[in-house]
Amino acid sequence: MSKKQKIRSGVLFILIVAALLAGIFLTGSKHGESESIREVMQDAVLHESAKINLFGLKEVNPAVISAFAVTGIFLVFALVVRIFVIPKFKEIPGKFQLLLEQGVGLFDSLAKSNSPHRNKFLGGYVFTAGAYIFVGTLFELFGVQAVTTSGASVSLPAPLADINGAIGMGVFSYLIIMSGAVSEHGIKGIGKALKDFSLPISMSFRLFGALLSGALVTELVYHYLSLSFVLPIFVGVMFTLLHALIQAYVLTMLTALFYGEMSEPAVKKTKKLKKKA
Amino acid sequence: MPLNIDWQQILLHLFNVALLFAILYFLLYKPVHKFMDERAEKYEKMKNDTENRLAEAEKTKAEYEKQLARANAEIDELKAKARSDMAKAADASRLNAENEAKNIISAARTGAESEKKKIIDEARGEIGDIIASAAQKLVSESTAAAYDEFLTAAEGSDTDE
Repeated sequence: MSKKQKIRSGVLFILIVAALLAGIFLTGSKHGESESIREVMQDAVLHESAKINLFGLKEVNPAVISAFAVTGIFLVFALVVRIFVIPKFKEIPGKFQLLLEQGVGLFDSLAKSNSPHRNKFLGGYVFTAGAYIFVGTLFELFGVQAVTTSGASVSLPAPLADINGAIGMGVFSYLIIMSGAVSEHGIKGIGKALKDFSLPISMSFRLFGALLSGALVTELVYHYLSLSFVLPIFVGVMFTLLHALIQAYVLTMLTALFYGEMSEPAVKKTKKLKKKA
Repeated sequence: MPLNIDWQQILLHLFNVALLFAILYFLLYKPVHKFMDERAEKYEKMKNDTENRLAEAEKTKAEYEKQLARANAEIDELKAKARSDMAKAADASRLNAENEAKNIISAARTGAESEKKKIIDEARGEIGDIIASAAQKLVSESTAAAYDEFLTAAEGSDTDE
C-alpha cells in the first residue's frame, strides 16, 4: 500500500468514526420512542400486547407463529435432504454429508454416553431438540415480520423466548424422559418419573430465563438509539449465537442425563446380597 | 394466568415440537443414522473378515511351518539313514575287496610257490643234466687230453731219439 493510499484510508476511517459519533450524540434524543422501556421489556417478557391471528382460529403470541415457521423450515429442509441428498450419500462423505453426519453423530454419542441402556429413541429426540433450540434461537436474527391483530408490524421472536414455548419444550422433554422410565420399568416407571416432578418446571424456566435474558439485553440495546450503532452487531448476533449453542447443549444434555437415569435397569442382585449379608 | 401462560398455546407448542420430532426423526435422523450404521457395519464386517483371514493365514502358516519342520526332520532322518547305509555299503565293499585281495594274494602266492617249485625242480633237473654233461665232458676231455698228452709226449720222445 502506497503512502497516498494509506492517507486516504486513514481519512475515510476518521470520517466514518466522526459520522458514527455524530449519529450517536446528535440523534440520542426523545424522538422516535413511542413506548417506554418498561413497556418494551414487559412486552418482551409477557407478549401481551402483540397478538397474531392463527388462521382465524385464535389470537396467539408471535412465538407460536415463529415455532410453526421454524417447523416449516425444517420440514422443507428435511424433505429436500431426504429426497435429493440422502440417496446420493457416499461412503467417503462430502462437506454437506459430513455436516449432517456430524450433527447426527454428536447427538447420538450424547445419548449413548448419558443413557447406555436405551438410547436410539433418545438420540432422535435430543437431535430434534438441539436443532429446534439452535435454529429457533437464531430465527430471531432474521427479523421476519408479521402483522399483529392491531395492524402493527412485529418482528417474530425466538419460539422459546415465550414462556408458553419454553413450557411446551420442557414438558415434552419431561414426557420423553418419562417414556424412558416407562419403557424400562413399566407402570412403576411413571412413579419413578413423577418423583422428579420439578424437572419440567426447572427445564422450562431455565430455558425461558436464559433466552429471555438474551432477548431483554438485545431489546435494551435496540431501544436506545445511542446504543444502536455497531454494538447491536455484537450484542444481537454474538449473544444470540451463544444462547443458541449453550441452551441447545444444556437442554439436550439434561434430557439425556435424566433419561439415562430413569431408564437405568433396577439392580436386583445387590439387594439380595445385602439381604443375605 | 400469570406471566401470560396460556394452556392452548402450550398445547400448540407441544404439538409443534411433536410434529417437528416426527419430521426430523423420520426424514433426517433415522435415514442418516441408518446409513452411518450400515457403513460402520460394513467396515466392521470387513475388519472381522480381514482378522479372520489373517488368523486363517497365520494358522496355515503355522501348519506349513510345522509340515516344513516335519519334512526337514524326515529329510535329516533319511540323510542320516542314507549316510549310515552308504557307510555300511562302503564297509561291505571294502571288506569284499579286502577278501578278494587276500584271495588273489593267496592264489598268487600259491601259484608263485608252485611255479617256484616247478622252476626249482626244473632247474634242479637241468643242473643235474648240466653237471652230468659237464662231468661227462670233463671226463671225456680229460681222457682226450691224456691221450693227447700221451701222444704228444710220445711224439716228443720219438724226435729226441
